[in-house]
Amino acid sequence: MLSGIDYVVVIAYLVGIMILGLYFARFVRSADDFFLSGKSLPFWAVGMSIVVTDISAMDFVGVAGQSYRFGISVGNFDWLGSVPAMLLAAFIFIPYFWKAGVYTIPEYLGRRYNDGVRAVASLCWIIFFAFDLGVLFWAAAVMFEPLMGWDPWFSIIVTAVVVGVYTFFGGLTAVVMTDVVQMVIMFVGGAAVVVVGLYHAGGWGGLVEQISAMGDAYQNHFELVQPADTQTPFPWTGILFGLTFVMSNAYMIGNQAIVQRCLATKSLWHAKASMLVGAFFKMFIPLLVMFPGLIALAAYPGMADGDQAFGTLVKNLLPPGLRGLLFAGFLAGLMSTIDSFLNSTATLWTKDIYERFLKKNASSRHYMIVGRAATVMLLVFGVLTAQLTQHFSGMYVAIQTFMSFFQGPVFSALLLGMFWPRATQWGGLVGVVGGIAVSVLFNVLVLLDASLFTIQDPFLYISWWSFVVGAGLNVIVSLMTARHSEQRLSGLVCRLPRDLKSNSGAVPC
Amino acid sequence: MLNFEWLKGVSPAAAKGIFLGIFVVSGLLVLLIPKAYIYEGVESPRWWHNLKLWALGVLAIIFTIYSIF
Repeated sequence: MLSGIDYVVVIAYLVGIMILGLYFARFVRSADDFFLSGKSLPFWAVGMSIVVTDISAMDFVGVAGQSYRFGISVGNFDWLGSVPAMLLAAFIFIPYFWKAGVYTIPEYLGRRYNDGVRAVASLCWIIFFAFDLGVLFWAAAVMFEPLMGWDPWFSIIVTAVVVGVYTFFGGLTAVVMTDVVQMVIMFVGGAAVVVVGLYHAGGWGGLVEQISAMGDAYQNHFELVQPADTQTPFPWTGILFGLTFVMSNAYMIGNQAIVQRCLATKSLWHAKASMLVGAFFKMFIPLLVMFPGLIALAAYPGMADGDQAFGTLVKNLLPPGLRGLLFAGFLAGLMSTIDSFLNSTATLWTKDIYERFLKKNASSRHYMIVGRAATVMLLVFGVLTAQLTQHFSGMYVAIQTFMSFFQGPVFSALLLGMFWPRATQWGGLVGVVGGIAVSVLFNVLVLLDASLFTIQDPFLYISWWSFVVGAGLNVIVSLMTARHSEQRLSGLVCRLPRDLKSNSGAVPC
Repeated sequence: MLNFEWLKGVSPAAAKGIFLGIFVVSGLLVLLIPKAYIYEGVESPRWWHNLKLWALGVLAIIFTIYSIF
């Protein structure tokens, strides 16, 4: 249980973050303000927001658990699995979307291919975000119960009210600006565990010495690059093909929650710079989420469940006050992900489904109200489904697996759409749907123990192959169907200018 | 084929070389970006607006991490 001073820290954080978020409500007067902050955000705020949107409290527990079991190779996800993709996003994709003036990535896919591709991509993200909200709310309840002694329902409602109020009134601006504060709190709280833990382990040298002395099974614990035939989920082949080439690009370039805040920056330079700031801060994430697992391994070897590593460390090492700070950091990570998912899902619903298929040409204020209504509906949905997570322990894994179903195929459509003028609307649709079908098929076969893959959890390989199948189908079907005119593709494919007559607006990609 | 068996003969040290190569190639590509494109959206460019420097800084850090581990 937390002590008195810890309670003060946590309550002060909750109240402070709600007041800060509400302050930004005064700037929201239209759909543009609500969804894209009126294109006014500075690069530093967006860069910091990208980092905390990507990292949630689950990462502290999950990644620490994986580093406890498999060592530092899990750090590949935030290093090789992020930085090259973020550079690619910064210099090629984000400027393109920013200039195109789109609100969502599916909106671009709709313009480039057809409404079918837009609807499939948008619905996949909406389903993923909506169900993930339930998991995140339940994670809040699980965190509050042992430390604050709060009933799970009470914890869920408190989290929903705090996040919901500022996201409802303040839109994306409130989300991003609270994310800035949340990133600072998350970094300070996480660093407290690492510093105290390393001190107890005798510094970095002591940590390496203790773990290396544990025997042959731990000899690769400090190797980022694992052999291709490793039994861990991180063989270098999976890291290169599945993570670096597909998943990281699909995430940093195709994820609405990440890209939307870059589209809300005040200029093209700010859009590019925001991704680079995000890449810089992202490189520190493994230190915060991976080191606690290594420190726990040195201090408490032989734990049956690696996911207990982080909690055990906090319980045994941190003094009162610091525990409250860490808990606030945990909450910051959690709430920053919830608010981003809420706002991005509301944007996807309003722009890609409601405006496109249900009510066209309404006023900007009307769409802002629809976005706010969607935020409330999602909050209610998240709160109600949070209880489901309690009964289905595999919910979090299932939702993450669902994301690996569509990320690769959607990214293949994005890539071919931007760089290959010959890609047609039917190629795009068959590529996305066919790629998702192959992902589902692979996962079903893995569940049935078809011995298709040699590693424990082959999601990296499945992402790669679903991307390859999606791209292949797109190419084959495109070549069999009528090509689109240059007029239709202008401004949507690299080097095809928006205005064909004056040759203006071409992006040098 | 699904498990990339044909790459099992490649040692982790050689694989690390491939990873480091990705960072080097990324850096070279960053250097090739036209200056005008980098400063697009800036009214009066200063040296710190040069996003090539930012990108190269990030790549230098990650190159160092992979060189050590």
